[in-house]
Amino acid sequence: MAVITLKDVKKSFGAMSIIANVNLTIQDREFVIFVGPSGSGKSTLLRLVAGLEDTTSGQILIDGEDVTNLGPAERQLSMVFQSYALYPTKTVRQNMSFGLEVARLPKAEITRRVDRVAAILKLEDYMDRKPVALSGGQRQRVAIGRAIVREPVAFLFDEPLSNLDAALRVEMRIEIAKLHQRLGATMIYVTHDQVEAMTLADKIVVLDKGDIQQIGTPIELYEHPANLFVAQFIGSPKMNVLVARADGATITFKSGGRLALSAATPTNVAKLGVRPEDISLVREEQGHLVGTVEVVERLGSDTFAYVAVDQLDAVTVRIVGNVAGITAGQKVGLSLDLNRLHLFADDGKTISTTI
Amino acid sequence: MSDSETHKRPPSRVVISRRIAPYFFLAPFILFFVAFLIIPLIYAFDLSVYKTTLVGGTRFVGFDNYAKAFADPNFWDGVLTLLKFGVMQMPVMLILALMFALILDSGVVYAKSFFRISFFIPYAVPAVIATLMWGYLYGPAYGPMTQIADALSLPRPDFFAANSILPSIANIAVWEYMGYNMIIYFAALQAIPTDLEEASLMDGASAFAYAVKIKLPMIVPTIIVTIIFSIIGTLQLFAEPYLMINLARNLINSHFTPNLYAYTLAFTAQQINYSAAISFVLGGVVAVVSYGFMLLVNRGNR
Amino acid sequence: MAIAGKSQLSGKFRRNRMLLTAVLAVYFIYTFIPIFYVITAATKTNQDLFNTFGLWFSDDFHLWQNLSELFTIQDGIFLRWLGNTFYYATVSALGAAIFATLAGYAFAKYDFTGKKFLFALVLGAVMIPQTALVIPIFLLLSEVGLLNTAWAVILPSLVFPPGVFLMRAYVDEAISNEIIDAGRMDGAGEFHIFSRLAFRMLMPGFTTVLILAFVANWNNYFLPLVVLNSPEYFPVTVGLANWYATAVGGTGGVLLYTVVMTGALVSILPVIVAFLIMQRFWQGGLGAGGVKA
Repeated sequence: MAVITLKDVKKSFGAMSIIANVNLTIQDREFVIFVGPSGSGKSTLLRLVAGLEDTTSGQILIDGEDVTNLGPAERQLSMVFQSYALYPTKTVRQNMSFGLEVARLPKAEITRRVDRVAAILKLEDYMDRKPVALSGGQRQRVAIGRAIVREPVAFLFDEPLSNLDAALRVEMRIEIAKLHQRLGATMIYVTHDQVEAMTLADKIVVLDKGDIQQIGTPIELYEHPANLFVAQFIGSPKMNVLVARADGATITFKSGGRLALSAATPTNVAKLGVRPEDISLVREEQGHLVGTVEVVERLGSDTFAYVAVDQLDAVTVRIVGNVAGITAGQKVGLSLDLNRLHLFADDGKTISTTI
Repeated sequence: MSDSETHKRPPSRVVISRRIAPYFFLAPFILFFVAFLIIPLIYAFDLSVYKTTLVGGTRFVGFDNYAKAFADPNFWDGVLTLLKFGVMQMPVMLILALMFALILDSGVVYAKSFFRISFFIPYAVPAVIATLMWGYLYGPAYGPMTQIADALSLPRPDFFAANSILPSIANIAVWEYMGYNMIIYFAALQAIPTDLEEASLMDGASAFAYAVKIKLPMIVPTIIVTIIFSIIGTLQLFAEPYLMINLARNLINSHFTPNLYAYTLAFTAQQINYSAAISFVLGGVVAVVSYGFMLLVNRGNR
Repeated sequence: MAIAGKSQLSGKFRRNRMLLTAVLAVYFIYTFIPIFYVITAATKTNQDLFNTFGLWFSDDFHLWQNLSELFTIQDGIFLRWLGNTFYYATVSALGAAIFATLAGYAFAKYDFTGKKFLFALVLGAVMIPQTALVIPIFLLLSEVGLLNTAWAVILPSLVFPPGVFLMRAYVDEAISNEIIDAGRMDGAGEFHIFSRLAFRMLMPGFTTVLILAFVANWNNYFLPLVVLNSPEYFPVTVGLANWYATAVGGTGGVLLYTVVMTGALVSILPVIVAFLIMQRFWQGGLGAGGVKA
């Protein structure tokens, strides 16, 4: 049971501001992901919640209690680190027991808890091994086990999967999702990988330059990004952004192509965004834009076409299935789904997503 | 709401302990550092600006002792001796150390760890005993070198002649410290990732090329550090010549090296104040030579 | 390490291997000659020392007589010197290594006011000539009445700046910040983290510093020479050097060269043996940068 609230939290090192002014509430049992590029302040924000860093100003509350002045253990949180940070001189069992020994729990209770968690994570066979003798995935599970035995009110994860190879990462991602369902605990998870964010999160907090850009469910962020940064950060391949200008209900691209919208838009439109799956390839004369196919990537399930459009960046088009008949060098028309356009102002803010 | 930002909270307990902890960790070392390094240094400096005479007692003389030291041929003779000594000893010692480290690291010899450990052993022998051992080996009357020369009907080598006394001492220093430097180089070489090695090793000759062209440049920072430490060690030479005074009384005088000079001034001549000044000037020489070497290295890098 | 491929065991490679091994063997002989000389000298009568070939044993095996003389001469003071050296070196090295480890840990893992200044100060200390320190230490110790006591040798030896550099580098390499943060998350305080988590991880580095400090103190000559004047407090270096001067100077008359050589042998053997036993620990300390699990 843990509701974590950040009120006007700021962090700066000297004159340099790391976290601008964060207000955020994390509900009980919620899986919240802090996502952003490196240097966005996501890890610092997590460390502030953990109590590993001191806030410059503002308050952190857990279940309404002000914990801003409490140390990490007193906040009853546990954390899983990027490098796992297992104690190399201790066995798996000792790694998991250490926090409980520090808390002076009775020996029998420690053994009971550690054994139970070891069973959940299938670590029973490795309890007397040292971390060096474990594989990457096993170390990861020990790190998670060490977090669980303390029975914290919430779990913090700092890029826990980034040291694993691609296959193992997917596997562990699913394990963490299952663990969340099983434990029903509040989790805060930091990553720079938007796929992890989209697949795991109940709620995503997008950060850039120490500031929250948007908070929402994965689909909200995908469908209704608040600004250009979120629009481009969430989604893979990235949203196409085209320089454009609006005049009444007409959008004119830099390259000369035009779009007629069903209703008039504000005139401060600077850019138009459209996701790769919202564009279709048509014959030249039927498209809103005209370009030349540069590269075709066939993934089996999808086909990606990279189309060079005069005076604009290359446009990525996603077609479901393996479509024949698209070749590099081909002249094509691009037809945009007018119901799924994103318009951005000069400052990058979204103007209106429903046109 | 916004006024809550303005008043500062005290930092959390963890952060406080994290701020104080380093001072506790440092306290024992710093305590002794101050007591046995800083205070003696200040005390020595204080001594060096006074002069004690039988008639006038102790009086403040400012930098007179320093002026005297700068003009003292006994001091500069000693510095010159050491520079000659360093030019003889350091290149031999460091080049051997580097060569052996490269050989041992490349793994192309038999009994690697045997050689590595046995070359280091002399470092565990006190300078006093090393000098004593070599002193006997050098012995002009009955030493083994003399015996060998006699057996071969060769002229007896004289290790205590005017032009051989410095090489004789230099040899002791090489014997003592070569292995120590070798171990440092060896550790640095071992830290280099071995990825490149398999690709570039084709035969014995290319192993040599790999060692010299790729590995050697990677440990240049380590080499620079060992050179600086050798310079510092050289300029502080004391025990070896001090113990050899009896063997070569006419060659090793009381100002053979600056440290010897300072020691004699303080404990034989009772000129504590002047001795302190000499030590400080020597410290200055050490700093100037080390710094000069650093400048040379930096210019070479450009 | 030796990852020389199998394909290179060509004739040329084998020849080079023999050649380089021969070069090392030559240097080994050079390294071993003085030690071998001491060994043979310790087995001879004083007469034979001068009349037989120095680098081989004589017919009259006199080692036991030399040893018994070494340990009985001047009421067996040599044993006392050995004991003194062992005591000074052990206490100094332990203290110095612990202080250096604590200080290195603070320098490596914390940001604090005055860090740069303090580190530069410790770094600069290496340049100070021994005399500049030993002479004022002598005067200061005499003022507090510690001259000619064990403390006069031990206390100044607790400062071992090279150990601080080494430990700082070692801590940086062996302990990640995340390990320390993990300890904090587990509720351990800063000292608890050091003693229960970090110190064990630093054992190889600590052992290295301990051995370096031990050797430095075992070999120390200048400091005890200056601050001690009663033979019963001498370490073996100062004592033997005194005997040596007497023997060479020919003033003592009764002191035999063979006794001095036997003393030299007895005083270097423990260090060499200790070093051989411990080398497996401390070579690990210089090499492997610890396990980063």
